[in-house]
Amino acid sequence: MALLTPQRERSTPATEEKNSLGYRTKIILRHPATLLGVLLLLVFGYLIVAPVISLLLGAVQVGFGDEAKAGAGAGSLTGYYLDRVFSSPVSDIIFYTPLLNTLWISLCSMVIALALGVPVAWLLVRTDLPARRWFSSALIVPYMLPAWTFALAWTTIFRNRSNAGQQGWMETLGWEPPNWLAYGPVPIIVIFSLHFTPFVILLVTNALKNLPGQLDEAARICGASSQQRWWRITLPLLRPALLSAATLMFAKAIGEFGVAYVLGLPAGFQVLSTTLHQSISTQQSGIAAVIAAVMVGLGGISLLVDLRFLREAKRFTTLNGKATLTKTQPLARWRTPALVMVGGLFTISVLIPLGTLVLSTIMRVPGDFSLQNFTADYWIGHDLPTVGFSQGVLVSAATWRAMWNTLWMVGLAALCTGLLGLLVGYVVVRSPLRQLGTALRVITFMPYLVPGLAFAVAYLSLFAVPRGPIPALYGTATILILIMIADEMPFASRAGVSAMMQLGLESEEAAQSLGAKFSYRLRTVVLPMVRSSLASATLLPFVSGVQGLSLVIILATPGTELMTTLSMTLIDFGYTHAANAVVVLICAIALLGTWATQKLFRSNLADSLG
Amino acid sequence: MEPMITLRGLGKTYSGNHTPSVDSVDLEVQLGEFLCLLGPSGCGKSTTLRMIAGLEHPSTGQIVVGGTVFDDVAGGQCVPAERRSLGLVFQNYALWPHLNVKENVGFAPRVQKLSKAERATLVDQALQTLAISELAERYPGELSGGQQQRVAIARTLAARPQVMLLDEPLSNLDARLRLEMRAEFQRLHRQTGNTMVFVTHDQFEAMTLATRIVVMDQGRIQQVGTPSEIYDSPANRFVAEFMGSPPMNIIELGHNQAADTWMKSRDSAATSLGIRPEDLEITTTPTPGKFSLPVTVSALLPTGGSWIIELTDGQQRYFATSQQRPALTEGQQVQAVAQKLHLFDASGQRRTNVEAVAA
Repeated sequence: MALLTPQRERSTPATEEKNSLGYRTKIILRHPATLLGVLLLLVFGYLIVAPVISLLLGAVQVGFGDEAKAGAGAGSLTGYYLDRVFSSPVSDIIFYTPLLNTLWISLCSMVIALALGVPVAWLLVRTDLPARRWFSSALIVPYMLPAWTFALAWTTIFRNRSNAGQQGWMETLGWEPPNWLAYGPVPIIVIFSLHFTPFVILLVTNALKNLPGQLDEAARICGASSQQRWWRITLPLLRPALLSAATLMFAKAIGEFGVAYVLGLPAGFQVLSTTLHQSISTQQSGIAAVIAAVMVGLGGISLLVDLRFLREAKRFTTLNGKATLTKTQPLARWRTPALVMVGGLFTISVLIPLGTLVLSTIMRVPGDFSLQNFTADYWIGHDLPTVGFSQGVLVSAATWRAMWNTLWMVGLAALCTGLLGLLVGYVVVRSPLRQLGTALRVITFMPYLVPGLAFAVAYLSLFAVPRGPIPALYGTATILILIMIADEMPFASRAGVSAMMQLGLESEEAAQSLGAKFSYRLRTVVLPMVRSSLASATLLPFVSGVQGLSLVIILATPGTELMTTLSMTLIDFGYTHAANAVVVLICAIALLGTWATQKLFRSNLADSLG
Repeated sequence: MEPMITLRGLGKTYSGNHTPSVDSVDLEVQLGEFLCLLGPSGCGKSTTLRMIAGLEHPSTGQIVVGGTVFDDVAGGQCVPAERRSLGLVFQNYALWPHLNVKENVGFAPRVQKLSKAERATLVDQALQTLAISELAERYPGELSGGQQQRVAIARTLAARPQVMLLDEPLSNLDARLRLEMRAEFQRLHRQTGNTMVFVTHDQFEAMTLATRIVVMDQGRIQQVGTPSEIYDSPANRFVAEFMGSPPMNIIELGHNQAADTWMKSRDSAATSLGIRPEDLEITTTPTPGKFSLPVTVSALLPTGGSWIIELTDGQQRYFATSQQRPALTEGQQVQAVAQKLHLFDASGQRRTNVEAVAA
């Protein structure tokens, strides 16, 4: 070809190159996903990137009021905060001790959760344990509830005289729990472990179900005993899932605030999230920024580790990962001990905490189980001795206002999150500009790494004052809704991408080749076909938004009180009955929402983890 | 007459790939033709089809359909897929599960903003043509594979496309249905007179359906011709070996004594020769004037109605076929006599003076 027409080919390469560039540009610009992607970038630039950048900048820029200390004008670059956090006389107190505490607490609870979760998952999937289907949903309950719920239950039972407020059950029953049991690292580790065990159970159960049964059978044919099969075949195949679970737990444990706040502070036990909270509430925003940046860094590291394990997992799953029914292994004489163990875990992680919370709201004196001590006053009574909250939780206007605020704000945020997630999925799957999709993916994942408290601080500093056409948002519902949207985007965009991947290209292409324009295709084909994913991508953020505490605790004002902030306010007042009652209501909403998601959309809970 | 579809220098290189998936394809499809793009998977046939449909965009070249320039990379011109009025039938049918058969088929008429009466007529016609009127109210999930296939075709028909494009339309059906649908396609083509372009990797499908076949490999067109042209005079070794089952027996010259002796002084440019299995006749003695190979019968494979005879000369295997039960036993020494030979030169191109050699 080139030999035949050398003249023509050589005379116009420049113009042809230019025109073919024009052709490519035309295709990219005309693709609807391009415009959509650019719009989404703007939205997330505002909701996610700007706050994160302002947060990180806060670590190296002199804040207002710190001019004298830093010896420079507000806004100029400074190493003052870094210096103060990393190498000053107070570094140990405000940084190194909390950091070490965070690390060893996370590690301990991670190990305990794995040690508990893996055998239980195996019992649930591979053996003839009685009622294993029931257990496999019942044991997940702790994961669906906020971790600090369990902290409240713990203090209700083990509180001692070292702190003011009502006495604990143990105390009433005549035994004063020692300090190490009532507050500090031990209860925190116990609660983290109980909270994370369901997570391990879910992930490992899923991985076990996806292991082809033939692998085990092949080993059996080769003469391996059940123990050999477990240690030599199953466990090595589960390794990626286990490591991935471990890193995700680690990342979550770093950001968790409520538990350490309830159980750590009374004993002066600090972790990173509580020092962060302290530096925020004492207006040391530069220090807060440095600590937050460290937390983001730790989250980032665990994420990178997780990605590594995921890649390894992909190498494993090249075998056809089709779920096959595996014959369950009879437990024989171990059946009863196994049942006792699983039942015990259920009792400790679900029955006792929830039962304690519920009971604590209907007992006048904690821990006194005589009949006349029970009352419904804290729920429906009037003129209670608690000043400022003198009515039962169910008849108090404050509860209903907080409930209504929670429902409509979280609901609206969840709906926006679900829709935005699908649109992100659309751009990722369809855009001819691959970079656009990648950028969106990365940006929407960022909030996962930022602790809720730090994110809230960034929002506060960015949106508290009017900026350009946007008015000051502090004290409005808007700022709460925006931050909830941003915070749930990591999950929503993942759900959106997988929904769009599952939908595939062909359905839309078929409509396109039959002459349908973009908006028409979106309306008649794409959205109807992903509506169940949309629904679950809305409900799950709703469930987690309802229990969210650290994200909203410094942004909510009396006018925009939510259920979670109301319960914290009540705790600060020492009104345990009311606080626990509000928490019980939150749990009820969360469980109902989860149950509805599963029933209505048969969505897999394991997909929503993270 | 102006061809219905013209492809000029069409090429497609996916980003990240060095070699093009489709490489300077030139092709003309006439009005009313039933053209088949045939080739192994990954040869660029589906990409070519999707570029015509406008779902992929070429990196070089031009696509002209019905006198309209659809793509012209050098000229910077592109008509979006939804404005091409071509019908595409997908390999997996791509029926919309939330719409019933009637709504699926009525989609294009609705998009074209036709009146209610016109829409109803078009849908009814399309359903009747495919003989699925009784399925109108069902949802895709309630249909068998063959029925889904018919709905997908009806949906495309109702759009009244100027060209129908079919992407491996039969590959998801079982053997019996495939036969049935093949006849259906033939009838449909006769009945509607539509220009149809379809993609397949199945040579039998191509042979039975197409008026012309385009054989592709590694993004390039290897040969264009009628089914019998392609089968009887393959342009090169790729086409020769791809068409036919069992495949053509190829003998590399320079390693096989019988072949070297036979070829000496006949055609010095040929480097390999090929014999279709059905052109190998098994006899006990060599036939004078014909190329014969001394071989041993190594296996007799009945395929139901015909037999495949596996032969060996100690160096390589050969296949012959027979319509009658062969009166041979394994291990028997026989002569395989070529009734027809194909010669190929060093670049794999077919030598055109073969008949003279074989006679």
